[in-house]
Amino acid sequence: MATLFILLFIITLFYIAISGRLFVCLNLLIVQGILLFGVALYELKEINTVNLLIILLETLLFKAWFMPMYIKKVTNRNRIKRSVEPYVSGFNSILIVSLLIVGSLLLAFYLHNESLKISYLAAAFSGILTGLFIIVSRKEIIMHIIGYVVLENGIVLLSFSVGSHLPLAVNAGILLDILISVLIFGLFLNKISKTFKDMDISQLKSLTD
Amino acid sequence: MYSLLLILILSIVFPGIIVRIKSITAGRKGPAILQPMSDLIKLFRKDSVYSTSTSWVFKMAPIVSFASLIIAVLIIPFGSERGVISFQGDFIFFIYLLATGKFLMIIAALDTGSSFEGMGASREALYSMLAEPAFFVLFASYCMLTGSTSFYDMLHSLHFQSTLAIFLAFLSTYNLFQISMLENSRLPYDDPKTHLELTMVHEVMVLDYSGFDLALIQLTGHIRFVMYSMLVANLFIMPVFPMWLSVLIFAGITVFYAIAVGLAESFRARYKLRNNNKAIVILIPISILIFFGCLLIINNLY
Repeated sequence: MATLFILLFIITLFYIAISGRLFVCLNLLIVQGILLFGVALYELKEINTVNLLIILLETLLFKAWFMPMYIKKVTNRNRIKRSVEPYVSGFNSILIVSLLIVGSLLLAFYLHNESLKISYLAAAFSGILTGLFIIVSRKEIIMHIIGYVVLENGIVLLSFSVGSHLPLAVNAGILLDILISVLIFGLFLNKISKTFKDMDISQLKSLTD
Repeated sequence: MYSLLLILILSIVFPGIIVRIKSITAGRKGPAILQPMSDLIKLFRKDSVYSTSTSWVFKMAPIVSFASLIIAVLIIPFGSERGVISFQGDFIFFIYLLATGKFLMIIAALDTGSSFEGMGASREALYSMLAEPAFFVLFASYCMLTGSTSFYDMLHSLHFQSTLAIFLAFLSTYNLFQISMLENSRLPYDDPKTHLELTMVHEVMVLDYSGFDLALIQLTGHIRFVMYSMLVANLFIMPVFPMWLSVLIFAGITVFYAIAVGLAESFRARYKLRNNNKAIVILIPISILIFFGCLLIINNLY
């Protein structure tokens, strides 16, 4: 059952790579949050209620509700253009993301041993690589945040792949990191929109002293 | 042999069901179920008109395409029945038979010397090229899962016990459905109703055919459609099922398929031509995902 969630997670990665609309990407983040919650619930059901509560907070509340909603709110308030403008065309992105995912599958099978779960590891690497790819291949700042969140989802899966050995503190640290970064991005966007109408980072090239 | 018979029988009603569903959703009563077939019979009685710029390639293409499709149908098993032609690696033979038919149609389109048909041929070639890896990887993963390379053994030893396997079956059904929509030039990749040459894909390729040849091409299209539904049905028919149940499942899936095609054609628009590539290439990663799932099942790692 958990593998099914993992496969669906990888499908959402393809969808994010190909999607031309901002809100589709945000909805996919919600889906990813729910899938991660499913994986977490399936993986850690014998662990105590505090742990479960933290995971619930992390995946459902934070990833599937707060973050997408916050980004949507910022987008609406600043009237940001809702189409994704990639440097790499959709056709090429999907090819590159497929290659990244095949690469991570190979890596996961190469690293295979008893204490690692291959499917989680593969999905984690693909999440991390796809997140990085989205960050470097899209022009909007909002898409950079989305890429960052996808990367973080990959890291969460990585923590699941080693079982419950990863200390909770590490996870909480990453979570705090993301929270702060999303908040800062939001503030940044609110400020920047007073000066510039567009959130296209290619305009930054024309900045001079 | 059963597969050929069943496919031929169901391809008589298949186009009629699609047309009927489309008219019902549009609020019309619609033609009789067998109307497309009587249109075909009328066309079969007519003579073909050939352009002076065409050569023997143009005359040969529909016949070769039809013949290769019939041979391809002979390979497909049905339930516990082995296909008439069955050997190790026959699924590769199957794919290349279909490709042969398509190749002949493409060079026949180029043979006419019309720029429109060249354009259609180029699009058709591109889309087939993008869909082929998806098809190959899909069947290769089933080969890997079952350890055999012939259609019969592959489908015979395929069974789904875990949720993952059922999910994979649904994914492959989705992929096969999309590939069949593409190969049969249907929505959302191509609109069979379109009347502008610039936006056609398949229709513009066969623009110069008339009479008998046109009928043959249309019949090939209908049979190919039902053949894909047979492939999908084979994923769900277990060899232990009695014959009547298998036939029932196949007929049910085919009718459902026709209804789905009819509904899709009534309610959705075609992709923009430039987005078509993107939509088709997404089938490859889905196939890779199926491959990965099969790998997990084999190694018992899920």
